[in-house]
Amino acid sequence: MHPRFLSRLALILGLALSPALSPAQEPLKIGAPQPMTGPDAPFGDKFKKAYTMALDEINAKGGINGRKLEIVLEDHQAKNPLAATVAEKLITQGKVLVLTGGRASGQAMEIASVAQRLKTPYLVDHPSADAITSKGFDWVFRNNPTGSIYPEAWKKFVTDVPGAMPKSAAVVYDNSLFGKTIGNAVMTFLKSKGVTITNDEAYAVNSLDFKPVMTKVKGNNPDYLLMVAVSTTDAILMTRHAKEIGVTPRAFVGFGGGFGVEDFAKQLGPLAENVYSSAAWSGNPNDGATATFYQNFKAKFGISPHEHETEGYAAMYILADAFRRAKLTGNLEADRAAVREALLATDMTTVFGKTKFGNYAGPLGDNYVNQNVNSPEHVVLAQWRGGVLLNVWPKAMAETNFVFPEPPEKK
Amino acid sequence: METFIQSLVSGVLTGALYAMIAMGLTVVFGVMRIINMAHGEMVMLGMFGAWWAQKSWGLDPFVSILVWTPAMFALGLAIHRFLLRKIMPGGELNVLLYTAGLSLLIANLALLAFSGDYRTISLPYALRPMRPFGIAVPIPLAIAFGIALALTTALWAFLTRTDTGRAIRATAQNPESAALMGVNVPRIESLTFALGTALAGAAGVLLAPSLYLYPTVGEILSVKCFVIVVLGGLGSIPGAIVGGILLSVVESLGAVYVSVAWKDAIGFVLFLLVLLFRPGGIWGVARA
Amino acid sequence: MKIAATVLAILALLGAPLLTANPFVLHLLILTLWAALLGAAWNLLGGYAGQVSFGHAAYLGVGAYATMILHLRVGWSPWLALLAGGVLAAVFAGPIGWICFRLRGPYFSLATLAVAEITRLVALNWESLTAGPMGLLVTTLPPLTIFGAPVNWESKAPFYYVILALSALVTLTTWHVARSRLGAFLLAVREDLDSAEAAGIDTVRTRVLALVLSAFFVGAAGGFYAIYYRYIDPDAVFTISLSVEMVFVPVVGGIATTWGPIVGAVFLTTIGEVFRDRFQSGHLIFYGFFMMIVIRYLPEGIWGRLSQWWAKRSATAAPRTRRGTANGKSPSPTPSP
Repeated sequence: MHPRFLSRLALILGLALSPALSPAQEPLKIGAPQPMTGPDAPFGDKFKKAYTMALDEINAKGGINGRKLEIVLEDHQAKNPLAATVAEKLITQGKVLVLTGGRASGQAMEIASVAQRLKTPYLVDHPSADAITSKGFDWVFRNNPTGSIYPEAWKKFVTDVPGAMPKSAAVVYDNSLFGKTIGNAVMTFLKSKGVTITNDEAYAVNSLDFKPVMTKVKGNNPDYLLMVAVSTTDAILMTRHAKEIGVTPRAFVGFGGGFGVEDFAKQLGPLAENVYSSAAWSGNPNDGATATFYQNFKAKFGISPHEHETEGYAAMYILADAFRRAKLTGNLEADRAAVREALLATDMTTVFGKTKFGNYAGPLGDNYVNQNVNSPEHVVLAQWRGGVLLNVWPKAMAETNFVFPEPPEKK
Repeated sequence: METFIQSLVSGVLTGALYAMIAMGLTVVFGVMRIINMAHGEMVMLGMFGAWWAQKSWGLDPFVSILVWTPAMFALGLAIHRFLLRKIMPGGELNVLLYTAGLSLLIANLALLAFSGDYRTISLPYALRPMRPFGIAVPIPLAIAFGIALALTTALWAFLTRTDTGRAIRATAQNPESAALMGVNVPRIESLTFALGTALAGAAGVLLAPSLYLYPTVGEILSVKCFVIVVLGGLGSIPGAIVGGILLSVVESLGAVYVSVAWKDAIGFVLFLLVLLFRPGGIWGVARA
Repeated sequence: MKIAATVLAILALLGAPLLTANPFVLHLLILTLWAALLGAAWNLLGGYAGQVSFGHAAYLGVGAYATMILHLRVGWSPWLALLAGGVLAAVFAGPIGWICFRLRGPYFSLATLAVAEITRLVALNWESLTAGPMGLLVTTLPPLTIFGAPVNWESKAPFYYVILALSALVTLTTWHVARSRLGAFLLAVREDLDSAEAAGIDTVRTRVLALVLSAFFVGAAGGFYAIYYRYIDPDAVFTISLSVEMVFVPVVGGIATTWGPIVGAVFLTTIGEVFRDRFQSGHLIFYGFFMMIVIRYLPEGIWGRLSQWWAKRSATAAPRTRRGTANGKSPSPTPSP
């Protein structure tokens, strides 16, 4: 029964997976493993929107040298082994020229590992773990800032604004790759400035209850409450419980995407007011092209783009630019190498800001390879004001003046 | 001192809801000798019920509990009638595996129906907590605590004061002699399973405004619930109450005085210790 | 006839990397064999001894981490580290079994769940050893030559042969155990612990032995995972869902049978892949649904039913005994070769 089954398995899979034979001008394929189902599905959808919008625009203008661009999404359900599986499938079965996407750092590590092994360029557009570009993977490129760069905007704020330097701070972070990295980056900075760290608390992702940890924080009465969350629900619940328990620092600062999404204000209402979010920016809103992108995106999908959408959209333009400059021959392996060469020479501006890949040392001493050299400028400190998140620092991209310190709670 | 009282208060408030979930599981175990691996999913369904009722009908969770408790009771009856009853003769391990399959099925169907989106229910009147004596008491949790207390009392009265309730307890003690005394054991089993499901659902509705909900939240809750029923002694209702509050208080105090990172481990270690040294539970009669 | 089929099967399995140039097909075969390895290992304890563990991810994780750490920190060859991972998982399982086997039935199942969660939390928080949530990554595997030929780590073939060997080993072990004194003891334990005890069987020792064997193979499977995917973190190798999915394989294929886990693995992996490919989701819905259907209508699993049917057919030889599947719903599945 085995050989028959084996051959049947191979047959079924072969039929299901073999790419259709295509005409001479086949599209240039970009593979994107994303969580299309499972707990992270909402994020997969954000990237799908951003990718298709960018590619529709590029293709409407005639594509690249007469060839259309095509995105091939594969669902990894936010599971690491599945991310490796679909990355492999995209490269060997889907015949994609490059990979992008990934969404979360764990999955991106798997994809990077596969991409490096199978010599296929991988442009990281959102996953932020430092390790992705600090393990010497020379086929991996990253446009967005790394986790340890995320707090840079907040660091500038407390350094530049007189009197803003914390006297003490409580740091509460989740024990995911993301949370740990940012927690470390923040605490390294605090120690370098001689600030007392009243609490160093790592919690489990999806903790359901932050009242105990906030009770502990309250007992130490910190000057700043610094919260790190990889999951949006943790961000919301942590802020709610901090305020319920009655922690009263001069500033509540959140690190991680969850502190910047619309749900944060929608769910917390007045409790969200004045909470800071220090994160990767979504491009400079004061920049004309970026503002136009925001409007077009909103007109097309009815939602305002944030970090994720901007990153995904920008990634398509970076890849298109590399395809345009690369000498493509039709030999997949040679073409992938050519695209990699082209990416190495990338020097352009997208809605996400300037992109140029280079090697340098990160804030925690990681040796980055092919990390966008402009990343330290691609972070921003924003503040929730009347249900809207507005950039407040650095000054050049501020949309309003900051409120600091936190005004006392009205009884 | 304030920190201690605050964590104690938080622990007790949340503990009452844990206890309610655990009661559902323990009642079913007491009568049917099965562990329902899909119990957490029943809580999840209650949470989604609360969310959905608020979104579609504008119903406050503390009102829609009146709808969902009977609805979950009916669901429990249906699950028992159409699914479990056929499996029961296959032995406890088969039921264990069967309900594990059911748990996966329900969680993933919910994932398909509701998507993986996290959701929270916010009550405009409950944004800011009460602060008696400077201790923060979140309003939704306080209301839920009150309702949980009332439901628990009602359950206790039902089990001790009504004929059906006495029949349930008799079956739990000894199904054979209960049957000899004229108790319709299959009917009692069906009723008990529905009761357990309704308790889980109601606890879900009550928890929803204080936590957030997503389709796979049942897994975390199931595991917590297993810990509680073992702490309290499988099959014992007072044990479930004590176990629920104990676990919650231990987690709360552990987070403050030991470490947030290890607070879940404290619960599990306690669980193992009890399993090993008092397999009947700290409250229950030894029955293992 | 039977021998010819066996020889053909072995040849096909050995030649698979030569038959297909498609790395993705080979990848799926590796996944299938990996699932079969886990299922068969779980089956040793859960099937033959009837001790349902919902915490086998603990041994998988320990094996994966031991392999990674021995390779990265101590510099052992990954394959040696893999075996050591299996051994360490087995050593780790010993005391756990000794503690947990004081409990019976569902209590045991819940205790294993708790042990697995504690292990996960330790892996997550013991950062100096495991790097915590950062996970462990191996970027390149050291060069290796076999009979003068360098092994190509970029291809799937070496991985395929390793996992093939491991699954063959677990299948042989199962086959052997099922026929040994240990197998008889395990069955006695499963049928009635008290009678087994009364008959003079050291039931704790018997169960611990089954667990240790089981944990060795699960640990080796974990080591394989680490080397194959080259990146592990606690959430990837210690999750509850992994423990549960491991149980499905033998249950679907045929609990307490030698070939059941293989049939189950082929079935579940194929279905899972087809579902993911065609519908983009839902394979877990199917897993859950199928688990329920199997326990309800096919408690002896696919292979169990097939072999019963086959035995009946060859026993009666006469063609007119089609309807005789009366004991098909026997509550405790009968072990079959």
